[in-house]
Amino acid sequence: MSMSVQKALSQEELGPKFKVGGKFTKRQARANFMNGLFKNYFLLSILMLCFVLAMVIFFIGRTAILTFKEVSIAEFFFSLNWTPEEGYFGAALFIINTLFLTALTLIIAVPISVGMAILIAEIAPKWMRNFIRPVLDLLVGIPSIVYGYLGLTILLPILREASGEGLGDGILAAALVLTIMILPTISRISDDAITAVPTKYREAAYALGSTRLQVIFKVVLPAASRGIIASIILGMTRAIGETMAVVMVIGNTAQLAKSLFSPASVLTSNIVMQISNVEFDSTWNHALHMMAFLLLIISFILILFIRYLGRKGGNEA
Amino acid sequence: MNKFFKKLSLITLASAFVLTSAIAGPAMAKDDLKGKITVNGSTALLPLTLQASKEFQKLHPKVKIAASGKGSVTGPQAVKKGIADIGACDWDASVDVPGFKAFSGQVANKVAVIPFATIVNKSVKVDDLSTEQLKGIYSGKITNWKDVGGEDKDIVVITRSFGSGTRVNYQSKALGGGDIVKKEKNYKEVGSSGDMKTAVATTPNSIGYIDLTYISGSDIKAVKHDGVAATTENVISGKYKIWSYGYYMTKGEPTGATKAFIEYVQSKKFQEGSLKKLKFIPISAMK
Repeated sequence: MSMSVQKALSQEELGPKFKVGGKFTKRQARANFMNGLFKNYFLLSILMLCFVLAMVIFFIGRTAILTFKEVSIAEFFFSLNWTPEEGYFGAALFIINTLFLTALTLIIAVPISVGMAILIAEIAPKWMRNFIRPVLDLLVGIPSIVYGYLGLTILLPILREASGEGLGDGILAAALVLTIMILPTISRISDDAITAVPTKYREAAYALGSTRLQVIFKVVLPAASRGIIASIILGMTRAIGETMAVVMVIGNTAQLAKSLFSPASVLTSNIVMQISNVEFDSTWNHALHMMAFLLLIISFILILFIRYLGRKGGNEA
Repeated sequence: MNKFFKKLSLITLASAFVLTSAIAGPAMAKDDLKGKITVNGSTALLPLTLQASKEFQKLHPKVKIAASGKGSVTGPQAVKKGIADIGACDWDASVDVPGFKAFSGQVANKVAVIPFATIVNKSVKVDDLSTEQLKGIYSGKITNWKDVGGEDKDIVVITRSFGSGTRVNYQSKALGGGDIVKKEKNYKEVGSSGDMKTAVATTPNSIGYIDLTYISGSDIKAVKHDGVAATTENVISGKYKIWSYGYYMTKGEPTGATKAFIEYVQSKKFQEGSLKKLKFIPISAMK
């Protein structure tokens, strides 16, 4: 910008006889061309992403909807009998198992991770904070298969010892693995939310004679609650969508999880176990696509909810 | 600013160039002993395919072979969709078998005899199980090792998921057509032969089934079936019944590099050499 302004001035000063005009126009044209080129390139990048998203929804949805040609909506959503080789397509058990697993994961993960966030943001000395934050960032990035493998080789034997079960696979094992996976996500984002609470709130509370515990629970946490809820939902989307780690420890059996240790299957693990073994144009394949579509919808709803929370929080602050 | 853009455009161009050449590269080469063969399907046959492709690529360096495995049914399905040139399958997928319809237009090329074995975790003291006992275990009627001559411990059943060729063959030959029934406890499904080995090796008191090639190490052991040990000799002599042919399914008669590769696997040199070493049995050995 500034460069072209300078050039424009010097052309006016020098006049046409110095013949800088031609050179300048070329330069300007090139700059314009490059600017335009990259503007379009950046635009194309984002359009490509939108295109891919639309295609995902379109193709998964299109195949998914074929399910209801052969299976009634009531059977798919309410029947507990998933025996595709005999023509029963009740996906309710996967939906219930998924909700059960997610709820259990959150029950274990939320108190621990919010506690960690409070420690980091409010209580820990600076050196500790500077140590824990990068460690948590690192943990967020660990591939899920690694967690799954650790679950299979370390967690399952411990669970077997502790419970006296023969196998150890099941909802509890999956929930524990997922908990470890989403702990860093929730605590790191909650930490940011808590740190963002203005210091003046705390000072005001202390000035009124509050103890540290009162400040944390009565002032800081309520002020940061929106951010914390957003972090929990983010952790939840990760837990719902997680596949590889879950497949390794859940037992992969299409039945309702009646106890914490009964081998079960959730939407994601059932899709990955069966998708390659079914025929391309079969009802079975369509039903698996429908389950994938359900997962898409669930995560869309959760993300919309986060956006809604974020906007509301923004208006108030 | 301009310099930055120039650099950026250069990088973009360069990466685009690398990308296109990477995609176009393998597709370009194609004549008799060049080409790309994709093998998909059975994990039971995977060790054989991998070994054969290693040797074949040494002989014909211009042929690229990509082999991967999941359930057997993946093989003929991938061939049908055109994803793979060869679909490895533990049954003849060109005819109907219980549970799976025939894949029309596909040719089954016999490549090996695959022996399967019942395996247990090293903690299990039982070393011989009859068809009736196995039926009882997999249908959920027998749940404790003491009922089949072992210690007083719950039996943990590990099975392959539906669509596995190992499961199809094991069910028809070891269980005499008996069912594998889901249980509330001590039951787990796995997706590949490798997962089966890991699961049985790491779970005390577990039982599973796998092809003989995968049995190694001290964490799992093969048990006898009706008093007959799972060895290649017993399969050849006809005493041991749990085996099947392994097939390479192709779309119509194989041609070009695919044909050469299948012929290599069927050649005497490979059948009597590496194939035997992997504990498969040459097709010529069966009468």
